Amino acid sequence: MIRVNAQDTIPIPLKIKIGLEVSGPVIYYTNRNVNSQEGFVSLDIDEKRSLIVAAGYLNYKYSQFNYTFLNKGSFIRLGMDFNLLQPDKSQGKYWAGIGLRYGISRFTFEVPTYQKTDYWGTTISSISPKVNWGHFVEIAPGVRTEIFNHLSIGWSVSLRLLLYTGTGKNLRPVYFPGFGNGTKTITTGMNYFIVWNILIKRLK
Amino acid sequence: MRKLFSLFLILILPGFIFFILSCSQGSCFEETESYLKASFYSYESRKLTSPDSLILYGLNNDSIIYNKSSNVQPALIPLNASKESCTFVMKINGIADTIEFRYISYPHLISKECGYTFYHLLTDSVRYYTRHAIKNISTGNKTITNLNVENIRIYY
Repeated sequence: MIRVNAQDTIPIPLKIKIGLEVSGPVIYYTNRNVNSQEGFVSLDIDEKRSLIVAAGYLNYKYSQFNYTFLNKGSFIRLGMDFNLLQPDKSQGKYWAGIGLRYGISRFTFEVPTYQKTDYWGTTISSISPKVNWGHFVEIAPGVRTEIFNHLSIGWSVSLRLLLYTGTGKNLRPVYFPGFGNGTKTITTGMNYFIVWNILIKRLK
Repeated sequence: MRKLFSLFLILILPGFIFFILSCSQGSCFEETESYLKASFYSYESRKLTSPDSLILYGLNNDSIIYNKSSNVQPALIPLNASKESCTFVMKINGIADTIEFRYISYPHLISKECGYTFYHLLTDSVRYYTRHAIKNISTGNKTITNLNVENIRIYY
């Protein structure tokens, strides 16, 4: 237990954090149709704020009785994390806060086959591959805690607002990298991280 | 620290449950058919008037869409997504006419659960029809979707 008196100064460690998202590989282990890899690098600006760059890759396949959807691409999210804990509570080890990010996704989706059965019979068609750019914003509250020296674990909930899919309103992507279900304007998600912390400076 | 770690554990559990729930599959509850919606009007009064009897079927198709049906308002007419035109035989109160529709079809994703359907766009006003019971057809919204929007008015 660290006692902090009013006259004491608290050394604030500023760090570079390198995080790997761990739920993606777990999901891929159980479902070979969703291969999602993601990581981030963040740089502490001061005791409250960190600049963050997250990037990832998705290879996605979805198939049901009347269509098959494939999407492959990558994304980047840029933004800032805000630690809501006071420095004497966070001690440079704990983070509970909120992240605000802008996301850009570059992906190629195709529908190798879809079919529709109606009065005139069954029509089978396809949609050929096309490169698209999606844009979205994200709010990500979460927590992280240092479990060993330089190593943290944590999670965040993501609330994402779709701005643009680049595909037109008729062919919104079933799923696209960094955002999720492209047929919805708002999506949610969970990320679990293992984070390696590198001390760069101590603020007094 | 212990307190914070406990808080972390408490928070991680609902998060994990939320994560599992968000992976569950959904069902398709939306309308998946894109019909051309044709409303019936009296030519004399210009008022919405359902035929006493309506028979409708596609030319060269044995299946009947409406068979002496009454109170049909609007008629839901399925266009053939494999073709750029199709013709229907329509008998209003026992008097037969044919109507040809010309259009283009394009895919539309309804939802992840429902998949794709075809929307259609009438390339021209509906003008290829016989005038036995039908007196006039006016074309409104040329985009044919799964929404309940009137596309043509049939005056008889």
